[in-house]
Amino acid sequence: MNTQTTTSGSGTSAASDAFDQLKETVGDVTVTDPKMCARNVDVFYGDNQAIYDVSLDIGNNEVIAMIGPSGCGKSTFLRCLNRMNDSIPSCRVSGDMSLDGEDLYSTSLDPVLLRARVGMVFQKPNPFAKSIYDNVAYGPRIHGLASNRAELDDIVISSLQKAGLHEEVHDRLDAPGTSLSGGQQQRLCIARTIAVSPEVILMDEPCSALDPIATARIEELIDELRQNYAIAIVTHSMQQAARVSQRTAYFHLGKLVEVGSTNNIFTNPQHELTENYITGRFG
Amino acid sequence: MTSTNLVLLLLGLGLATFFYGRQKAYVVSKSHGGMRNMHSLPSQHGVMVGLWCVLPALLLVLFWKLAEPSVISSLLNSSIPASISEAGEKSVGLYKNDIANIIESGTASSDPEKQAVAERWVALSSISSWVLVAITLALAAIGAAIALRKISADTRARVMVERVVHWFLIICSSIAILTTVGIVCSVLFEAVRFFQQVSFVEFVTGTKWSPQTAIRVDQIGSSGSFGAIPLFTGTLLISAIAMVVAVPIGLLAAIYLAEYASDRMRAYAKPLLEILAGIPTVVYGFFAALTVAPAIREWGELIGLSPSSESALAAGVVMGIMIIPFVSSLSDDVITAVPQAMRDGSYALGATHSETIKKVVLPAALPGVVGGILLAASRAIGETMIVVMAAGLAANLTANPLEAVTTVTVQIVTLLTGDQEFDSAKTLAAFALGLMLFITTLILNVIALYVVRRYREQYD
Repeated sequence: MNTQTTTSGSGTSAASDAFDQLKETVGDVTVTDPKMCARNVDVFYGDNQAIYDVSLDIGNNEVIAMIGPSGCGKSTFLRCLNRMNDSIPSCRVSGDMSLDGEDLYSTSLDPVLLRARVGMVFQKPNPFAKSIYDNVAYGPRIHGLASNRAELDDIVISSLQKAGLHEEVHDRLDAPGTSLSGGQQQRLCIARTIAVSPEVILMDEPCSALDPIATARIEELIDELRQNYAIAIVTHSMQQAARVSQRTAYFHLGKLVEVGSTNNIFTNPQHELTENYITGRFG
Repeated sequence: MTSTNLVLLLLGLGLATFFYGRQKAYVVSKSHGGMRNMHSLPSQHGVMVGLWCVLPALLLVLFWKLAEPSVISSLLNSSIPASISEAGEKSVGLYKNDIANIIESGTASSDPEKQAVAERWVALSSISSWVLVAITLALAAIGAAIALRKISADTRARVMVERVVHWFLIICSSIAILTTVGIVCSVLFEAVRFFQQVSFVEFVTGTKWSPQTAIRVDQIGSSGSFGAIPLFTGTLLISAIAMVVAVPIGLLAAIYLAEYASDRMRAYAKPLLEILAGIPTVVYGFFAALTVAPAIREWGELIGLSPSSESALAAGVVMGIMIIPFVSSLSDDVITAVPQAMRDGSYALGATHSETIKKVVLPAALPGVVGGILLAASRAIGETMIVVMAAGLAANLTANPLEAVTTVTVQIVTLLTGDQEFDSAKTLAAFALGLMLFITTLILNVIALYVVRRYREQYD
């Protein structure tokens, strides 16, 4: 395969050798209390293989960060976890993925119901062209989670509170969601995700479009949400991964190179590629 | 030399001076140490020279041609015989017409006096045109010379050229606006003449439309009554039927094309659907009159109704089919333009495809969809040919779609295709109707703009 890594300095040939020799993920991919499990997952876009034999557990009440250079497959892997890749016709997934032991890709599983259990927050805030209230109430409404207006109000308000947005918008819930600032929009999208009470929240670079202050608020929020949800976050910022996650997975060109506790990955990486990336030699 | 040739010559000169100016700018740039030290590019200097050469000369030609007839005619006044100029302006005008006829026909007149005047006229015109050529070419040469002397490192040729282009663009856009204003004014003035003969209140509140007026004073029985209400209800009835047909079909077709159809299907289906908009309305007209109207009549009789053979329903249904592409094509565009991120957000919450379309995509696309629908409505209200052929001429005040009705546009056609004198109330009524129709569609467009602006949400 062709290595597109933009390596620099001394590590060039050594790094690509290390990648070619990479057979198995370094570190323990399992956890004691798994929420989602992926085993030997391959993903193809048409003829291009985007992910090679990735196995990874996502534990309850933990934040797992997925880092790696651009095009390494971390977002693709994330999108497989709630079958968002279904909408891409050329995308093919093989291997086992499960949520509480249930096979995600079995024919008996309805991806629509899966996505209600595994929510997702996207890179760019994408509020609907609706009011703030309706944005949050959207999920509960389509899933029939509230039987009357009062219950719906409760869900909306508690979701906004959990997302740390209620204070700022409580007096203008009828304003369009798009009228909020970027950081507020992203927290609105998180509130929207929380409102359907998912079990897992997937976040695909949720802060890459935000300024540092908004980012700090979202990171605080992620840490609070960990009490109730399993969270997987893809990020380009290693500082962010270090701040919010308990475990970190390093992806490289479609392979999962190394998994471990965030502390270990950042202070004592085992694999050469991980070390190169963490120390900024490439990526 | 005719003025067309003169203009072509000027344009040729402009092109030549452009190349020469550009060349000169290259040379000048060399002596200034390269292009980097020139304010403007050589081609911009070239355009500047060309414009200096052509524009003043072209303006001169324009004004000369505008002024020439009146100048020559006033010069001729001295040669008109005193007997005629004393007889007043009308006979002078007649006399000049005679002269013009002589020149036009090219045959010698029997009246030697007139012949002399005609010859003088021809001589003056020819002098005028040669003087024009001379002055124009001189002006072009002077302009080019001035501009060529201007070429230097500091000359802001780009700024000058851009200013000229700027004004040219302003002129082009004002032509479109002024034409609209002109059309409105011409309709407005004729309508005012109509309302001097028929009261405005009678026109907008009268329920009887029978525009026959007496041609001769002694004619009886056709005094005319101009109540426009039956026409407007007819128009509204047919347009409403058309919208009832076009909006659901068009919108659902758009949703299918934008959301469900495969790329292949879409590539074929969309152009095919748009062909509907390319069929001439007269073809729709006889489709309505010869196929749909008789079918409706038969079906109506089967279930015990007695539809008239020219029914509002037939015209409305066919008109609806005609405007389907307006609704579907525009809606398809706006639905496709709703960002994928918004759909993804909905899917990620566990929404199904249809929930996403109903609750996220369509609300986001609503302004565009409404715009498309109102555009289609304007089109339906203004449509003529189908209703002329299928809906009939009887101005019935009815809401029954199985009866014959007539519309504003049909009446305008029938009013203006008769051989009535032009200042009769009957003919002028067409302009009043046209004005009302214009106002109606204008209001619709304003509402459309308001709706679109009111509900426009920013996607990103």
